[in-house]
Amino acid sequence: MIPILSTMIFLPIVTTMFLFMTRSPIVIIKYAALLSSLIVLLLSVKLFNNFDATSSLQFVEKYQWIDKYGITYHIGVDGYNLMIVMAIAILMPLIYLTLWKRNEKGYWYNLLLVQGAVMGATVSFDLILFYLFWETMLLPIFFIMGLYGYEDKIYSTLKFTLYTLLGSLLMLVSILYLAVEHYNLTGTWSFLLNDLKAMPLSTEEIFWVFAGFIFAFGIKIPLFPFHTWLPSAYATAPSGAVVVLSSIMAKIGVYAIWRFLFFLFPQMLDSFAPYLLAPALIGLIYFGIGAIMQDNIKRMFAYSSGSHLSLILIGLLLLNPYGWNGSIYLIGAHALSSGGLFLMVAMLYARTNNKNVNELGGIASQAPLFSIFFVFFSLAIVGIPGTSGFVAELLIILGAFEHSMLVGIISATTLLIAMTFIFWMLQRVIFGQTQKSTENFYDLQKNELVALVPIALLILIMGIMPQPFIEKFEPTITDNLKSSYILEAK
Amino acid sequence: MTQFTSLLPIIIVGSGAIFLMLLSAFSKLTIKELARITQTIILAALAIILMTLFDDSFSYSVYPEIFHNMLTNDSFALLFNFIFLLGALLSIYIGNVYIEKNKFFTGETFALILFSLFGMMLLSMATEMITAFISLEIASLSIYVLVGLNRKSHKSSEAVFKYLLLGSFGGSFFLMGAAFIYAQTGTTQLGEIANFISANIEQDMTLIIIGGTLVMITLVFKISAVPFQAWTIDVYDGASLPVTAYMASTFKIAIFAIALRLFLVDFNLIQDIWDQLLVFLTVITLMVGSLLAIIQNNIKRMLAASSMVHSGYLLIALASTGISGTSAAPSIIFYLIAYFFSAIGAFGLLSYVSWDTRRRATYEDFKGFAHIHPRLALMMTIFMLSFAGFPSTIGFLGKFYIFTGAIEAGYTFLAIIGVLSAFISIYYYFRLIIVMYFYPSKHEALVLTSKITPTVLALIALIILWGGIGTGLISFLPGANGFIEFAQNSIASLFITH
Repeated sequence: MIPILSTMIFLPIVTTMFLFMTRSPIVIIKYAALLSSLIVLLLSVKLFNNFDATSSLQFVEKYQWIDKYGITYHIGVDGYNLMIVMAIAILMPLIYLTLWKRNEKGYWYNLLLVQGAVMGATVSFDLILFYLFWETMLLPIFFIMGLYGYEDKIYSTLKFTLYTLLGSLLMLVSILYLAVEHYNLTGTWSFLLNDLKAMPLSTEEIFWVFAGFIFAFGIKIPLFPFHTWLPSAYATAPSGAVVVLSSIMAKIGVYAIWRFLFFLFPQMLDSFAPYLLAPALIGLIYFGIGAIMQDNIKRMFAYSSGSHLSLILIGLLLLNPYGWNGSIYLIGAHALSSGGLFLMVAMLYARTNNKNVNELGGIASQAPLFSIFFVFFSLAIVGIPGTSGFVAELLIILGAFEHSMLVGIISATTLLIAMTFIFWMLQRVIFGQTQKSTENFYDLQKNELVALVPIALLILIMGIMPQPFIEKFEPTITDNLKSSYILEAK
Repeated sequence: MTQFTSLLPIIIVGSGAIFLMLLSAFSKLTIKELARITQTIILAALAIILMTLFDDSFSYSVYPEIFHNMLTNDSFALLFNFIFLLGALLSIYIGNVYIEKNKFFTGETFALILFSLFGMMLLSMATEMITAFISLEIASLSIYVLVGLNRKSHKSSEAVFKYLLLGSFGGSFFLMGAAFIYAQTGTTQLGEIANFISANIEQDMTLIIIGGTLVMITLVFKISAVPFQAWTIDVYDGASLPVTAYMASTFKIAIFAIALRLFLVDFNLIQDIWDQLLVFLTVITLMVGSLLAIIQNNIKRMLAASSMVHSGYLLIALASTGISGTSAAPSIIFYLIAYFFSAIGAFGLLSYVSWDTRRRATYEDFKGFAHIHPRLALMMTIFMLSFAGFPSTIGFLGKFYIFTGAIEAGYTFLAIIGVLSAFISIYYYFRLIIVMYFYPSKHEALVLTSKITPTVLALIALIILWGGIGTGLISFLPGANGFIEFAQNSIASLFITH
């Protein structure tokens, strides 16, 4: 019996180390990367099938790591992180496929490393182990952005790195504080999530510990006032990094709020949720408007991504079953649609060398296949019926109205804003007159098609038949909501 | 274990130093052969220490008293001596190209290295204040001379002059402090001082407190805590790189050896008096050190300034010892081990790539370094990440233990200040990584001849990674788990009463 999760984390990392040591030529690196990610995908399908929705934590692996301090290698999957594990496993091979023409070894090494690290961060149940992966996943992105980015790459790389590291370091203090309190209470060291939850701390202590965590997660998502790294990073980063950032890392940020904050401080949820809901709502509107204002197509999608992440966060903060189920579903749905869209933006940029929306146009007549997929992913992002986003957003909005009229109205209207800017963008980029930069626009190629078709199909399946997916995580959420303090109080 | 066997390592090093001094005066051996002899001497001492360590499987037990309790050879001293010897050995291995190419390295250099080694080893074993002072001065004097080896360089001469004047001035406080302590307690034995304090805890302790403060001044001077930092950057910069590597990685550790002995055992009961002072020193050391490190353009000077910041982290742990926590003291030793490997790696790599003294090691010089020397750049990146305390390196665990110890002792704000300076340090360490990787190369590939140096550096890089993520799965390799166990055992050995 192989340890499935550990293999999923370490296979890409070990592959990288092996390739680096043997100084393999780039062709071998590409095939090895694809092969290892396909194995991970296969394992993830097995994991999905064997996942028992009714029981909680599964596929657990638990070993002592630094026993003097009770640091444990503890990983597992439950209803919360299943979707992200699947999203990582599905997206990574597709990213490799679309990037097939990149011949820089460093690019491939770093993508493989980041795959292992994000997987590790997603399934960790020990705070120090989580911190290890959380920090480590930044490093490959740092190198990809700095080495293969565009324009002002060094400035935006440094800004992004310093921003996220500041957040993580403050989180480290919070983690240590919790562990020391646990030690003072019980006399044993432990960093296990289960041991540290619901500690009897004073309100003031909880506030500061909570603040440390929210800094780290808020910056990564990004939550409204912490977003200033986002546009420049997305604009200058190469497409591989952007897809990982928006489709995977940002989702891990939201998931981490769930996993760590809600789990560690269930007693404080009711009092804290409104204070987070406000910036999330502001973010939803602000990023939506920001997206309309942009001419740079990458910045535009950066803002749009920010807007959707705020929506996921809102769903989470609603603290009702609709919101939570919708949120989890949107994590998966948005990972797929934004992944597809950012990959297509990369293709667009590779063909035209132009990111300015005003200088694009007339692609529909030149490259019909490209246009179909581009329109499809754009519509999937805003969640038209029939796509996975629709189901998720519907659930969240239902939850929002259940929460309060105001939140419901704001969320629903903002989705309309998103609709307008996507249509406007489509009109300018895909339709309209052929411009200088789009003159020699060629259609999708085989490797690109192979990468995009599965994403599109999955979006459709998740949109038309959401039941098999939702029932994997729904029981966990209902259970947790029932058992936690929230429902009892109401 | 008899007196003789526990003294054997320092006997080997001490007589080896004298032997080398005579040998270089009367024979015509080449520098390469002399280096080899030095390495053999150090290896012999190292082997004996390793044998003792494995013999007792690194537990702590009662050790025989040596010279009427003036010296001791407990696990604590053994661990420190092991680090010093390893540091000297690695510095010579890494610096071999530099040492061969630059004419100012002579046979006496190796004698001086061994003398300083002798001083530091004695210092970590000393349990009597005058012995400690003498060993401190033996080590310091040899290092002053080592700093000034390159007589033709103005920078080097300036450095040695500064270091000599300030260092001797700073060192004299120790003697003064010992005198004050003797005046009240009537003894200079470390254990006896502790006994005196615990027996007379109700009485006035003014003289001991004054004495302890004076001793502390010397110690914080030697670890270049602010406001005693003025010499640091110029001395690190003026010394030739192998010497800087040796000095940066070992000398600070030696100072902490005696500081730990004094403050954990002897002043344990009255340590609270110095808490305010230590906290203040910690905060300004971290702040000033960080600022100084940011503004440097030369990497050697940046590393020198950042060594102050590392002293600051260690001071956090020193301030946190003794109050309520038990994890602060071992965290100092772990951090010293982590710092030792990172420093010797980083300075060693610098000395390897800039053996030509005319070449300055600025950020500008390192532009595009990764494109011409990818493996060396990778190693440098690992050293920088370890300095910055990035997870999966040993440097992270070092900071982790220190901050945990600080929070445990109730100094959460010190941990936050430590975290903030770690954040600032990301800027100046990552700046080197950015410069190495993200800029096109302007220089031609360096002609690097040595095969030993890159191997040793790679080994250090692996140790740094293994120390950060190593598990207990491979039991004979002390990973992250094993190092902290060493540290805890050696601290525990301090409290064995004879």
